[in-house]
Amino acid sequence: MEFVLQLLFAGICVGSTYALIAMGLTLTFWTTRTMNFGQGSLMMVGAVAAALCLAARVPPAIAAAVGIGLAGALMLGVERIAIGPLLKSAGSMGWVVSTLGFGLFLQGFVTKYLGAQPIAFPPLLFDSLAYVEMFGIRLSAQYLAVLVLSVTLMIVMEVFLRYSRWGRAVRAIAHDADVAALAGIPVRRVVVLSFVASGCLAGAAGILVCQITGTADPQFGFNLIILGFVAAVVGGMGSILGALVGGIALGVAEKMAGGFFSTALGDAMAFAILMAVLAARPQGLFGQREVAKV
Amino acid sequence: MIRRLLLKAIRDTRVLLAAAILLGIAAQFASRSTVQLWSFVLINVLIAQSINVLTGIAGQISLGHAGFLAIGAYGSALVVKAGSLPLPVGLVAATLLGAAAGWALSFAVGRVRELYLAMMTLGFGMIVYEVVREWNAVTGGVTGLSGIASPTLRNLKLFDVSIGEVGYFRLVLIVTVAVLWLLRNFVTGPHGRAFFAIHVSEIAAGSLGIPRAGTKRRAYTLSAAMIGLAGGFYAHLVGYLGPETFGLNRSVEALVMAIVGGLGTLAGPVLGAVLFTYLPDKLQFFADYQFMVYGLILLGSFLVLPRGLAGLFLPRTAFIKDLAPLLAAEPDLPPPAAGGEREVPLLSAQDLSISFLGLRALAGVSLEVRPGRIVGLVGPNGSGKSTLVNIVSGIYRADAGRVLFEGSDISHLAEDRIARLGIVRTFQDPRLVPSFTVRENVLLGAHRRYRQSALASALNRPDALREEQAMLGAADAIIERAGLSALADAVVRDLPYGDQRMTELARALLAEPRALLLDEPAAGLSEHECARLGVLLRRAKKQGIAVVLIEHHMEFLNDLVDEVVVLDSGRVIYQGDMAGMYRSPEVVEAYLGLPAGGTDRQPEPGTVDA
Repeated sequence: MEFVLQLLFAGICVGSTYALIAMGLTLTFWTTRTMNFGQGSLMMVGAVAAALCLAARVPPAIAAAVGIGLAGALMLGVERIAIGPLLKSAGSMGWVVSTLGFGLFLQGFVTKYLGAQPIAFPPLLFDSLAYVEMFGIRLSAQYLAVLVLSVTLMIVMEVFLRYSRWGRAVRAIAHDADVAALAGIPVRRVVVLSFVASGCLAGAAGILVCQITGTADPQFGFNLIILGFVAAVVGGMGSILGALVGGIALGVAEKMAGGFFSTALGDAMAFAILMAVLAARPQGLFGQREVAKV
Repeated sequence: MIRRLLLKAIRDTRVLLAAAILLGIAAQFASRSTVQLWSFVLINVLIAQSINVLTGIAGQISLGHAGFLAIGAYGSALVVKAGSLPLPVGLVAATLLGAAAGWALSFAVGRVRELYLAMMTLGFGMIVYEVVREWNAVTGGVTGLSGIASPTLRNLKLFDVSIGEVGYFRLVLIVTVAVLWLLRNFVTGPHGRAFFAIHVSEIAAGSLGIPRAGTKRRAYTLSAAMIGLAGGFYAHLVGYLGPETFGLNRSVEALVMAIVGGLGTLAGPVLGAVLFTYLPDKLQFFADYQFMVYGLILLGSFLVLPRGLAGLFLPRTAFIKDLAPLLAAEPDLPPPAAGGEREVPLLSAQDLSISFLGLRALAGVSLEVRPGRIVGLVGPNGSGKSTLVNIVSGIYRADAGRVLFEGSDISHLAEDRIARLGIVRTFQDPRLVPSFTVRENVLLGAHRRYRQSALASALNRPDALREEQAMLGAADAIIERAGLSALADAVVRDLPYGDQRMTELARALLAEPRALLLDEPAAGLSEHECARLGVLLRRAKKQGIAVVLIEHHMEFLNDLVDEVVVLDSGRVIYQGDMAGMYRSPEVVEAYLGLPAGGTDRQPEPGTVDA
């Protein structure tokens, strides 16, 4: 029983980071119907930059800010180079390939200059052995901090999107960019901001994931995109609450499969869930666009 | 002059075959490492063509192609090593395993498109990679599988004869040349052109009788079979397999080769494969920065080189076999059917209703068309004309009512089944394959008439070639009637709107429809083109085709239609002849928003555009 609770707890914490990744991915999906396939590399760059700062004895808060800021700034470049110019061409092939190329470039760059070995990532808030006793099980303080931070970030984003002018603009553009532009919303600026925010979320998610793994690995990233995407799809691509539920469900499923069978099965689980969800709702939430055009 | 000769030469099968034979002979005199590199080039040609078939031709992006490569490689290695079976069995197994994996995957991924497809294929590649890493008992896990029969290890035998690097290269060469020949025959035949149709618009493809799911399944299976075979060749070339060969980087490399070479062409992926096998081998710099360079290439290729190297240097790949069209004698129009038969409706819509998000688009609309009759479908914008055509052609499902064709209910059929019955339509905006010529686009219309199998087409069997010749002749005849002869070899993307519309109509006519549904065919046509359209439609009428014609251009309808049906807000408000329509108070009110008696203005016979 305790084992199950432990797995459940770990699953919820890991899942909350998937939800964070999902939120970063959906933010740009709302404004431009695109997603950065190099998002994982952005997470990696944020985490590696923070780890390097920490190694240089920079205070943790500043180190985290550097990592998050760098990821946000790079996402500005993604929008400019990899997505903006290709939006006009029909289909998604152009930007899928170009953002993937961007991610590979970042990964290659970091691997080339820092080596392929994982960099130690010191715990930011609590010692990795610290724990809190709850429901008769020991909960790692580190994991708990990750959960609290992720959920807090998501709530802040939700409130922001729901009640701020900027957030309302994002939702208006998600509904119909042309009408939003007619209504005087500065679509271009909102799109750029959504990309920067998406990049910052990726940086934050990268740092939080490293709090769990203990290292920043130049290789990590691409499987995390899939996990984040699955969380987004399970959550319905639309809402932040959905992404949170989807992410946690995925994290728990993965940890359970990993704990009872094997870790490889945990990864396979994500793919199986993706297949099942998309088979049930083939077009995703925003499908049927071609039919509507007939 | 030299360039022209060279370009002519590379399109000549005999020249290419001679080059391949020369290469096979030259291998005798090259160093072992060179010959091995050549083998790598050929394997990469298969890999690049595989992704080209799926992504470039059928339009289904794949970010996980290395998964199929791994399945083929481990499959062949295990069959030959653990199963102690001969090499050809291993290679056949690699091909079949790849094909089976592609076929199975297509059921899941064939239902999604674009972003979702990219994510799912990325996931597929990663899962295969994980399985290869973890399944120690079979794949050897991270330590890999070594001691696979290969020329390097001197333990590869073909029919009990030990073969070295040169022998192996020749084997790969023969098979690769054969595969390329089959591939060329396939994509220049009807089934290959169907891949392009699916690529551009699944709905338009369906309306020509090309099934979406089946065609995609075929593309996945074919593509995966090719790369599975490449995997088998790879396993026996290097003698060792480890999971790292089959990660995301390999999928990316496949994509880079095909994109830089030129997706959707036949020569492009070959160029790409040669380039990206030689570069890392010859340039140390490239090898060091390989994946950064690949990243940059993917980042910029669609902007800098949208059609790849082949698009830049080579003439366009033709998707028609180089055959003389067989000109059929001007077909005698079938004698008008006996009077009694004429009275039976060929196509009838009964009480159709449909709502979108609570909005009633059609409320109990009925329509009948008899063979050899033209029915005009008129009404203000948003009155439900296109919706009606979409329901009849199987794109929308009606909430209530049914559609009968020759007395049997077709309401539940998919659009490609309906098209194959002989109900063919055009769209409000022409949906052609932009990279195809007029002739290639028109030939797509014949899809429902072809009898040849994909295999017969790939093998260029004489009966398949004869059929192709006959279709080419039929296409040329219709192209001429549509006034497009001078443009037959022009790429549709570059043509004015009117020519594109006529091309779409010619495509529908080549299908030899029994019922033809035209959505505003005269829109955007010049007066001259309109006249030609009228001639074509009268001819169709004489052939006994039942025509439904959505049109705003009243003058055009006046002396063409046998009957006109006017829709307003999803209801039929008038049914009868044209003259009566102009006098109908409901019609006048629908168009002018005034009760007919309230004004002495009457709509002029002419263009009425709501």
